[in-house]
Amino acid sequence: MASTTAEEQPFTLAVPDADLELLRTKLASVRFPDELEGAAWDYGAPLADIQRLVTHWKNSFDWRKAEAAINTLPMFTHDIEVDGFGTLNIHYVHQKSAVKNAVPLLFVHGWPGHFLEVRKLLPLLTAGPADQPSFHVVALSLPGFGFSEAPKKPGFKGRHYAEVFNKLMLSLGYEEYVYQGGDWGCALGAHAVTHYAHTHIKAWHTNTPFYRRPKFLSNPLLFLGLLTLPFNEPALAGLQRSQEFMKKGMGYYMEQATQPQTLGYSLADSPVGLLAWIYEKLVSWSDDYPWTDDEVIEWISIYWFSRAGPAAAGRIYYEITNRNTNDLFEGTKRTTVPFGVAYFPGEIAQTPKSWSKMLGKVVFESTHDKGGHFSAFEQPEKLASDLHKMFGKGGPAHGVVPGRNGYD
Amino acid sequence: MATTTERPFTLSVPPAELELLQKKLELVRLPDELENAGWDYGAPLSDIRRLVARWRDGFDWHKSETEINKLPMFTRDIDVDGFGTLNIHYVHQKSAVKNAIPLLFVHGWPGHFLEVKNVLPHLTAISGDRPSFHVVAISLPGFGFSEAPKKSGFAGRQYANVFNKLMLSLGYEEYVYQGGDWGHMLGAHVVYHYGHKHLKAWHSNMPFYRRPTLFSNPLLTLEEHLPTQAARVAVEKLTHWRQKGIGYYTEHATKPQTIGYGLSDSPAGLLSWIYEKLVSWSDQYPWTDDEVLEWISIYWFSRAGPAASIRIYYEMTGGNTHDTFEGTARTTVPLGISYFPGELLLPPKSWMQMVGKVVFESEHDKGGHFAAYEQPEKLADDLRRMFGRGGPAFGVVHGHEGYD
Repeated sequence: MASTTAEEQPFTLAVPDADLELLRTKLASVRFPDELEGAAWDYGAPLADIQRLVTHWKNSFDWRKAEAAINTLPMFTHDIEVDGFGTLNIHYVHQKSAVKNAVPLLFVHGWPGHFLEVRKLLPLLTAGPADQPSFHVVALSLPGFGFSEAPKKPGFKGRHYAEVFNKLMLSLGYEEYVYQGGDWGCALGAHAVTHYAHTHIKAWHTNTPFYRRPKFLSNPLLFLGLLTLPFNEPALAGLQRSQEFMKKGMGYYMEQATQPQTLGYSLADSPVGLLAWIYEKLVSWSDDYPWTDDEVIEWISIYWFSRAGPAAAGRIYYEITNRNTNDLFEGTKRTTVPFGVAYFPGEIAQTPKSWSKMLGKVVFESTHDKGGHFSAFEQPEKLASDLHKMFGKGGPAHGVVPGRNGYD
Repeated sequence: MATTTERPFTLSVPPAELELLQKKLELVRLPDELENAGWDYGAPLSDIRRLVARWRDGFDWHKSETEINKLPMFTRDIDVDGFGTLNIHYVHQKSAVKNAIPLLFVHGWPGHFLEVKNVLPHLTAISGDRPSFHVVAISLPGFGFSEAPKKSGFAGRQYANVFNKLMLSLGYEEYVYQGGDWGHMLGAHVVYHYGHKHLKAWHSNMPFYRRPTLFSNPLLTLEEHLPTQAARVAVEKLTHWRQKGIGYYTEHATKPQTIGYGLSDSPAGLLSWIYEKLVSWSDQYPWTDDEVLEWISIYWFSRAGPAASIRIYYEMTGGNTHDTFEGTARTTVPLGISYFPGELLLPPKSWMQMVGKVVFESEHDKGGHFAAYEQPEKLADDLRRMFGRGGPAFGVVHGHEGYD
């Protein structure tokens, strides 16, 4: 039986007044940098955007209102014991469907994401049309993110995250479940299935498919496929996009993977520093999503008010890559658990679709014409529809969880 | 006769700036840290906490300012083609030796003009059989108390233009050059544009260049693979740099504005960003807290703000699309190199032949990236041997051989 300790506790977000006051005082004393003429987005987040957002944060954004709305979600915390790391108090949303035999689904966010990315998906997954499968949804805050505790020691690896996921689901009575994730949710999904494929995880899905280049010995056909790339326009365009990202978009990754503590001081101390660091990704990684200032500030606030502080989150890059010694998939193996993939055009790393086969046993694929990296937030209907198709009657992963096929 | 725009410069940070800094230090919110992290994840929390407390409660900026103002500092307007006028700040210390060698000292990041402080007395002193120098130490555009360019595209050619115009405006038609970090890279640009005509010889304490390729330099590519100590050290440092040391560089070269917000707004953020390099790039230099805080203060109170300084990485690499030597080529201007063991990268010595005509080399057993600050006697000694009587660059500047 899973070794969890205390009972599940309901969680109410209640940022102390003192924290709000400190933030207010800091916002009132912001010192902005200069900017080159006509810089636009070339050098990073534009000054005009950031100034506008800071003004909004200071004068208009109502945190208590946002907090109250967040608190309408069914949230809990639970102590999860992790081998070698003691107990971590984990925060999560747990929305059950009225359909008793709904499919248990674990939703895993990434960076700079958080548990609230599940918000728009929830009604679509737990209370969708009767002819579509329903899900019991668990959306956790990753350790070190949102309102989950962070590990206190170095060395929190993929298998530890997988352990947290699995123990959490087991503690909720879900011996068998399915998994959906993007960004770190994808990489950690590969770790999760490596350890719990078939026994507990019966199928998984990602909206940010990416993987390492095929090597000749391990994947000869895919490797040879590289040779035909110049003639495969969509794949070539995707690879070029990825190369562009590798050249121009990897600063955050390199710093977080090698010196997350150094970076952490400005993220913890400066609201505008944290805002710019994350906002730049919210815009450049999404597909023209019409962010409102309130949406952005609420998103940043989750990081600002996070339980472990904003510096803790970036450490995942360091730990999983062994300080940039290996890639995100080190220690994972391909499994035969049914795997679903959604391709969104605004995604940042676009590897050829055939590479998804290396990641898992692809039984479901969908290609969309709109949406970026944060597809659960940007295109919830599209993503929900994919999960309906994958797990619904006649779908390739229908009934993977015995006794919980999504229909009563 | 053209009027000069040179003005004496007195550093005088406005009280409002000091108050804002104090307020921010009082409001500081520090991050958590993993147990026994040491330096593994970046600047340690205990160091930063202690430095912030000192900055808030004990560090005396006025005392630093007064000391800095003892240096002979000036500003003058320099016109840069396509960028209008930049008001440039510099130290100009003449030697009592009339025919001293004019030398331009160029800092890098996270350095600044004050790095010349310790080496200045050695270079300008009269010392019998050793040459003396007139020293000009500039604040790079966007650093220290020089204005920053307002438009994009300010790169090697423009920096070279500023340096050369500055020296000419001071009456130095011919001069020599010393630099490390960006000072080294920019040296390659100045020497390309003004070598021989104005820049007669140069010296670097950061031996660095692009890797030789089989096509361009076949013999040099082989050298890396030799089973020598030097080759092993070269490869180790390069590997470490590429894997672990390139975070700040990548962000600077691609999204300098994004990181700039935190550096401008958070003293603790700026402190850690720079302190991490002061310690990890120096050779166990025994930094005092006040030394560190004075160093960071130059950035905090810089004329253009801390964000402006890091744009040099973006501009010099085309936003990380090429290396920093783009637009240069090897010249035959005499080049001297000092090898300090704590330097970030120590390529095989033969590589510097690709950069220029190496006439002087010296190897030290102590000192790191900030050689002028850490080991001023060693660096000054190298320059005196390179340029002194009997040295390989003796007399390169006509009429200014370094002796009266």
